Amino acid sequence: MIKEGKFGVQEAMWLCAITISSKVFYTSPGLVASIVGNASWYMTLISMTTAIIGFTFIYLLLKRFPNKDIIAIFNDTMGGILGFVFSGILGLYLLFVAVSTISEFNEVVKAYVFPLTPSYVIIGLFSVGVLVLCLLGLESLARFAKLSVYAMLFGFALILLLGIQNYDINRLFPIFGYGIDKVFINGIARSSAYGEVIILAVFAKSLQGAQYIKKAGYASLIISGISISLSLLAFTLSFPYYTAMEIVAPMYQMATLIDYGRFVQRVEPIFLFIWFLSSFIAVTGVFYCFVSIYCKMFRIQDMRPIIIGSSIILFSGSVIQSNIGVSAALTIQNIRQYGWIPPFILPLISLVVGLIRKRGVKSNG
Amino acid sequence: MDRLFSLIVLCIIIIAIFSGCYDMREIDDVSHVLVMGIDRGVSDKWRLTLQFATLTDGQGGNQQKAEGGKGGGNGTQQEDYTHVTVDAPSFFTGMDMLNASIPRRLVFTHASLIVISEELARDGLIGDYIAPIMRFREIRGAAHMIVAKGSALDFIKANQPFIGTTLSKALQTAATESSNTGYFIHATLRDFYNELKSSYGQPVLTIAAVNEFQHFNVKGPKWDSEFKTGSEYLAGQLPRQGENKIEYWGTALFNESKMVDELNGLQTRALAIIRGEFERGFFTLQDPKEPSLVVPLDIRQDRKPKVKVNLNGDTPTIDLTIYLKGEILAIQSRLHYEQDPLLSLLEENFRNRIKDQVDQLINRCKKQNIDVFKFGDVAARKFWTIQEWEEYNWNEKFKDVKVNTKVEFVIKRTGTLMKSSPIPGTEEED
Repeated sequence: MIKEGKFGVQEAMWLCAITISSKVFYTSPGLVASIVGNASWYMTLISMTTAIIGFTFIYLLLKRFPNKDIIAIFNDTMGGILGFVFSGILGLYLLFVAVSTISEFNEVVKAYVFPLTPSYVIIGLFSVGVLVLCLLGLESLARFAKLSVYAMLFGFALILLLGIQNYDINRLFPIFGYGIDKVFINGIARSSAYGEVIILAVFAKSLQGAQYIKKAGYASLIISGISISLSLLAFTLSFPYYTAMEIVAPMYQMATLIDYGRFVQRVEPIFLFIWFLSSFIAVTGVFYCFVSIYCKMFRIQDMRPIIIGSSIILFSGSVIQSNIGVSAALTIQNIRQYGWIPPFILPLISLVVGLIRKRGVKSNG
Repeated sequence: MDRLFSLIVLCIIIIAIFSGCYDMREIDDVSHVLVMGIDRGVSDKWRLTLQFATLTDGQGGNQQKAEGGKGGGNGTQQEDYTHVTVDAPSFFTGMDMLNASIPRRLVFTHASLIVISEELARDGLIGDYIAPIMRFREIRGAAHMIVAKGSALDFIKANQPFIGTTLSKALQTAATESSNTGYFIHATLRDFYNELKSSYGQPVLTIAAVNEFQHFNVKGPKWDSEFKTGSEYLAGQLPRQGENKIEYWGTALFNESKMVDELNGLQTRALAIIRGEFERGFFTLQDPKEPSLVVPLDIRQDRKPKVKVNLNGDTPTIDLTIYLKGEILAIQSRLHYEQDPLLSLLEENFRNRIKDQVDQLINRCKKQNIDVFKFGDVAARKFWTIQEWEEYNWNEKFKDVKVNTKVEFVIKRTGTLMKSSPIPGTEEED
C-alpha cells in the first residue's frame, strides 16, 4: 500500500493555493491581456467561480466514496478499463502541466535573469530539486508549502504595495476590455487555471475525510482567486492594455519599475524569491500527483523508482520545448483553453455514472 | 539509506549552485554604463554614445583633473567618468563594436539616463530605437529619458558630476528635481514607451541642453522695472554662469514618435499642473498694486485636477478644475497682502494668470492635435469596450475638444511673517 502520510487542512489548502497561484508569475497575464485587454483581473474571478462549481462535483464524488481517492473512484464508477483510461488521462494531464510549467519557468528565467545559462542546467537543477522533494514525500511537501507561504505572502504584499507608485486607475477603462462576451467565455474556459485543485482528490486519503477536502478545496480556490486577481489588477494598473500584452513576465516587469529614489529600487530579488519558491512547490505538487496516479493505476507499492524514472521524463519533456513561442503561446495557451476538461469534466462524468449505476454511499442530505 | 541518498543529492545541488553559474560576472570584469546617448550617425544609421565610470580611485581622478587633465574619450588623461562613441546599424551591434575595443564587458543594468538628440526626435526616428531597447533585459523601464538639444554626444561630454563625485547620484537627483520646480516633466523609458503606443494621448519628454553661458551678459544696460517671471526661457538659454553646463528645462511634445513642439519652463509648469504632476514650485507674481515689484509665491498642488469629459454632441467637452495652494514668500511692496482685501486680490490675480497659461497651452496643443494632458485617460471611461474606444479615435478628435478651465487657488500661509512693517525713513507709515 502506498503511504503518502497525513496532513491537515491548512497544509493542503496552502499547497493547493500555491500550486494554482504560481502561474501568475509567468506569461499568462500577458496572454490574457491580449485576449480580454484590461479585464483580466475580474475575468479570473469568473474562472474561479467556474472552478468552484467544478470542485463541487469533485467534492460530491469524494463524499459519495468515503476514504477513497479519485483513482479508486474512477475504477469503481467507470469500471476497470474506462477507469484506467480516465486515471491515465488525468495523470498525463498533470505530467503535461508539470512539464509545461518547468519549460515556461526556464524560458522566463532565461529571458530576464540567466540569459547565458543553458536550459538543461536550469531545468536540470529544478528537476533534481523536484526529485528530492518528491522522495521526501507528500507530507513533507505539504508542510514545506505551509512553512514557506508566510514569507511568500509577505513578499507578494510588499511587491503589490511598492508598486502603487506606478498604478493608474484610468488603465482599468474601458472596463469591459475587448468585450464582456469574451471576458465570460474566456473566464469559463480558463477555469483550467484552477484545475490543479484536483490534486486534493488524488491525495484524498491523506486528508481526514471529505469534509476536510471540502474546506481545503474551497479555501484554496478562493485564496488563489483573490491572489491571482490582485496580481492581475496590479499589473493592469501598471501597464496599459496595448503594452501589457507584449510583456513576457508582467509581474516581474512590474517589480523592476519600483523606484523610490536611490535606496528603494531594484526590488525584483524579492519577486524572484517568491517566484522560484512557488514554482518549485507547484511543479513538485503536480508532478508528485502524476507519480501517485501512475503507481495507483498499476498498483505499484514503492513510489521511489517511479519518482526517479519520471523525473527523467520531466526533465526531457521540459528541455524538448523549442522556444518561448511554443512554450508560452502554444502549450500554455492550449492548457488554459482546454485544460478544464481533465480536472472537472472527468470527475463530473464519474459522478453521473456513479449515480446512474448507484455506486457509492447515498448522501444523507 | 533514504537520508544518505538525499544528503548526496543535496550536496550535488549545493556544489552546482554555489560554484557560480554561466551568467556569473566578476565585478572587475564589467563596466556599468550610466548614460546612453543616441544620435543620428554619419558612418552608419545610429551614433551610440555610452558614459561609464573609469573605476579609478576617486581621489586620483580628481587630482588628475586638478592638474588640468582632459578626459572624456580622448584617452590622454583619465577622469572619474568617460565616454565612448560608435556609429552602428543598431544598438546591439554598436554595443558589440564597443565591447571589442573596451577591456571590460559593458553592462546596462545600471543605466539610469537615456539621451536622445533633438534631431533624431524631430525626424520621428525615436520609435525605431526605443522598441529594441525595451526588449533588452539589461535596460530598466525606470531609466530616465530626455531629449537633448544639439547632439547627445555633446550632452554626455558635458555631463560630469558637479557637486560630489558620483554621477549616478547626480543623475538621480537631477531627474527627480522636477518635483521641486515643475520646470520639466519626469519621464521614464517605460512612460515614454507606453505613451508612444497609446490610444489615450501623446508622449512627452524632458528637454535638456548644454548651456554655453552665452545668454549671460556680463555687461550691458541694467534691468529696469519690466516684469519677467523667470520661467519663459527655453532649455540652454538660461542667463546663468558657473561650472555645470547641463540644464533640464522644458518639455518636448510628440505626435506619435515625432517631436513637434518645445515648451519653455512656464508652459511646462502649466502642463505639469494639468497632468496632476506638479508638486511644488516658486512662482513670481507681479504685484497687483505696485507693478514694478513682485510677490514670489511657493505654490503646491492641493489635490489632483478634476477632469470631466462629456462626449455628447459633435465635439467633446472637458471641464478641468485645477486645485492649487500657496504660501507667500516675500512682499517687496510691503503692502498687506497677508489679509483681505489684498489677499483675495492676490489670489484672484494668480488664479487668472494660471488660467491664462493653461488655456494658452491647451489651445497650442489643440492646434497640433496632441493630447499631452492625459484627458484621453478620462475620456476612455465613457466607453464600455476597447473596440468602441479605439474606433472613436480620441487622438484624432482632440483638435475639436472644448475645454472649460477653472482654477481653485488659496493662499494658506504667509511664511514666517504675519505682516510687513514699513522701513522707517524709506516710506510713509500707515
